[in-house]
Amino acid sequence: MGLRILSEKERQKNIDDNESNLIAQLQGVSKKFKSTKNESLHDINLEVYQEDFLSILGSSGCGKTTILKMMCGLIKSTAGKINWPTSNFQNSSENPANLSFVFQEPNLLPWMNVYDNIKLPLKIYKENSYKADENIYDIIKLVGLEGFEEYYPRQLSGGMSMRVSIARALVTQPKVLLMDEPFSALDETRRFDLSQEILKIKKEKKLTVVYVTHSIYESVFLSNRIYVMQSNPGKIFEEFDFSNQEKPEDYRFTPQFFEQTKIVSDSLKRAQNAE
Amino acid sequence: MQNNKIHSLLVIIILFLAWEISFHLLNLKWYLLPPPSMILVSILNNAHLLFLSLLTTLKIAIVALILSVIVSTSFSIVFYFSKFIERSLTPITVILQVTPIIAIAPLISIWVDSSEIATLICAFLVAFFPLLANTIAGFKSTEKKHLELLRLYGANKYQILRFVVIPNALPYFLSGLKISSGLALIGAIVGEFVIGPISGHSGLAYRIIESGYQLDIPKMFGAVFLISLSGIMLFNLVRLISYLILRKWHSSYQQVD
Repeated sequence: MGLRILSEKERQKNIDDNESNLIAQLQGVSKKFKSTKNESLHDINLEVYQEDFLSILGSSGCGKTTILKMMCGLIKSTAGKINWPTSNFQNSSENPANLSFVFQEPNLLPWMNVYDNIKLPLKIYKENSYKADENIYDIIKLVGLEGFEEYYPRQLSGGMSMRVSIARALVTQPKVLLMDEPFSALDETRRFDLSQEILKIKKEKKLTVVYVTHSIYESVFLSNRIYVMQSNPGKIFEEFDFSNQEKPEDYRFTPQFFEQTKIVSDSLKRAQNAE
Repeated sequence: MQNNKIHSLLVIIILFLAWEISFHLLNLKWYLLPPPSMILVSILNNAHLLFLSLLTTLKIAIVALILSVIVSTSFSIVFYFSKFIERSLTPITVILQVTPIIAIAPLISIWVDSSEIATLICAFLVAFFPLLANTIAGFKSTEKKHLELLRLYGANKYQILRFVVIPNALPYFLSGLKISSGLALIGAIVGEFVIGPISGHSGLAYRIIESGYQLDIPKMFGAVFLISLSGIMLFNLVRLISYLILRKWHSSYQQVD
């Protein structure tokens, strides 16, 4: 049985054992927006290890996205700190390409065609004299967009747009990929295909992925670690670790998958009752 | 599309025919309301004179339009970089806008010797504001998610301007340009009315005044027609520019199968 809820002690032990693999650690991070009365996020403690597929699972509005945006510096926290033990994974002016972000919606620029949308980060890097490899066609091939280079976003389906968005995130050759419910607007088959592809790409590129979602199935299928969140204010409720478990090819259809889905689902229910 | 054009052309032709026929049937006085045929003959008779006047008026309108584009774009960009300058200058642009051009035109003609330049200033003042207001609205409508995307990759303010803010403002700018193209022409006409004939070769507004003195009503109608015609031409020119710039990506030019 690979899936375990981690106790505080086990969590600490995990941190000590895997210290060399730790790439990011949130310690007591809180966030209060000026426009709201209460804290949106309260005392978030969270670790990201190298080559993790980490899911942050929670209902809408619990602050999942805010955690991601704080990790890549789009939003500043009001309390606590985010540690990056080595500078190899954090974005900085010397090395802006370590982290990439896939938004909830494709977020393409409608006035640029597919090729230019994917190239945009490299263009910005180059102008700011940061070296960036031109591997646009490799990436276009990787996400299956060959032949669509000249298309404009309005000519693309939702799934295709998402592929462009993923390609744009990968073109900078990041080490960490932050994904904010990237497939929530897609139909089930597309979502299945794309999540399968993300797993493949993650393996191929040795990526670390932090994945925010409200889908229990998706989080169990994709990740080796899951943080379940509760809302008002957003807090980590429970942490699951199934790193030591092999996922078979047809994992999605095994009894094991359903069992684990139920465990995580129960946890999420308890989290909602605890609010 | 093609069908629509044929329809509107038909409607215009029918209107002119009805005008022509009712002139003869109702025995209208030609010096009050000349029939289209007489107007056409008058335009042809005065072709040289009217054509040169048309050129003068069009030149002023187009130069005023180009000036408005340059000034309003530069203002918008300066405002983008400095909120302080924006706050200080906005009231002045509003004052200029709400003051009727007829009220300032005599002043301008006192200050500026050349009647051509004075008229140009009038046309510019009228055309400039809608363009500025639209362009600023376009700059401000930049979507937050696009800004976040650019900031994520460490883009500076200048890059954000180039990659996101300006392209996003283009549709706003172009619809402002459509309004301004008509207004530039109005400004050129009203300016000449108040300031007097343009030195060199006078414009269409003066042809109208002159025809009034001579009681040459067909010529007056001819001048009015040419003004409308040049307005239509200007508007369509802007529409063409707008189409060429936006057709590939903007939703207003979505291809329909």
